[in-house]
Amino acid sequence: MSSTLTDLLDLIHQKFDIDTSAIDPDKPLEDYGLDSLSKAELMFAIEDRFGIDYPEQYTAVATLQELADVVTRLRAATVA
Amino acid sequence: MINGERIVVSGIGVVGPHGDRPDAVFGELMHGKSAIALWGRDDVAPVAVARSAFTPERWFTKLQLPGVDRVSQMAVAAGEMARADACCWLDSVEPERVGVFVGSGMGGATALDDGYETFRRHGRVPPLTVVASMANAPAAHMAMRIGARGPVYTYSVACASAAVAIAEASEAIAAGRVDLAIAGGVESLIVPGVIRAWQALQTMATPDADDPASSCRPFDETRSGFVLGDGAAMLVLESQQRAYRRGARAYAELSGYGVSCDASHMTKPDREGQVRALQQALQRSALVPAQVGYCNAHGTATRVGDVVECDALRHVWGPDIARLRVSSTKSMHGHLLGAAGALEAAITVLALHRSQVPPTASCDHPDPQCGVRVVRGQGEDAPSLEAAISNSFAFGGTNVVLAFRRAH
Repeated sequence: MSSTLTDLLDLIHQKFDIDTSAIDPDKPLEDYGLDSLSKAELMFAIEDRFGIDYPEQYTAVATLQELADVVTRLRAATVA
Repeated sequence: MINGERIVVSGIGVVGPHGDRPDAVFGELMHGKSAIALWGRDDVAPVAVARSAFTPERWFTKLQLPGVDRVSQMAVAAGEMARADACCWLDSVEPERVGVFVGSGMGGATALDDGYETFRRHGRVPPLTVVASMANAPAAHMAMRIGARGPVYTYSVACASAAVAIAEASEAIAAGRVDLAIAGGVESLIVPGVIRAWQALQTMATPDADDPASSCRPFDETRSGFVLGDGAAMLVLESQQRAYRRGARAYAELSGYGVSCDASHMTKPDREGQVRALQQALQRSALVPAQVGYCNAHGTATRVGDVVECDALRHVWGPDIARLRVSSTKSMHGHLLGAAGALEAAITVLALHRSQVPPTASCDHPDPQCGVRVVRGQGEDAPSLEAAISNSFAFGGTNVVLAFRRAH
């Protein structure tokens, strides 16, 4: 599991008190109770946690894995 | 009667500075116990407030909380407690026949304050600021929580918001638009930006240096203004016939109400406007002044406001004014603005239900200019109390008087 994925699971647990051990990264986040509003809140928290700007075109990501991939790319771009 | 229909209060839910158990809240008030304390932040001078010790864990999971301002959290909690108190009412009614009527002066002030602060400091705004702060969010959350699919309305009429909501709910029942209504008010504005705005208006009480709890002194010669409070109160309203049919307890009857607007000044109270609201409430309730034994006054403890209110009461009550016990419970729970009319209606209803009248705290030197029978210090037993009123007089000039009768 990538470190971004681990960090995201940690953030989701902290923010929403969801048992992340049961999360399948390839399933839609909606399956775990995150609706469009809580996902918007999550994106904001991700910006804080990782020091990145989360672009609007990626707000439709469905799964945790897709989210982790986007965050990994954005982090790499920030470092570069 | 409201348009020919007897409307009763069959449930009460409270989140207030004295807690969330109506009987215990009333008990504290009867003992004259103030919940007022000092509150401050780095950038805000200490101010006396009455803040509810409310936390959302009992009512929301962390997953449910994003975008739910404290104001909506308290509304949901009070609504849920009112529903539980009214016992099983959703089992006996179609969701489409349930209405939610909520008053709020400032909506989600915490979210808005945080949003502005974050924007000014960091150039960004939390994404749920709009849905958290919009004025109708509390009513919407209540509707979702209880599954109310009838009219879900929000009234913003400053200090009279909740009283208007209760009056409108009673009309909706009487007109047959809903079978059950949950009506009341909520306010949560003890945040730096809003407190500073109220301080700037110079209507807030000077904190008592020796005893902050006694900073709000309605009808007292030394009064200096009001103390803001936060919280929510909700009433379940239904026709007496319906309550009787389902075997529900009726705390009291909402026998009538009066509404008027001064149409003269944004903040200065007007005796004639208040008189019209008082007279309407009595007339609609088929009451004469001598039958009304208690008035839960608007009583904000401003220099002008208390005198004008007492003047209006004396004018309407005439020679019977000595029989009317008057108290301002704001001296203990603060001014809940958009929720004030609901919390004070709940207290008035409990006064009738328990045949007891709560006092005005911190009124040690009654102002002779007020000239009414202020209940002071401790509450009084009132075994023959048959009717009572609750006054809410708002910035903007709207005056609302709710009248209640003992349930028989």
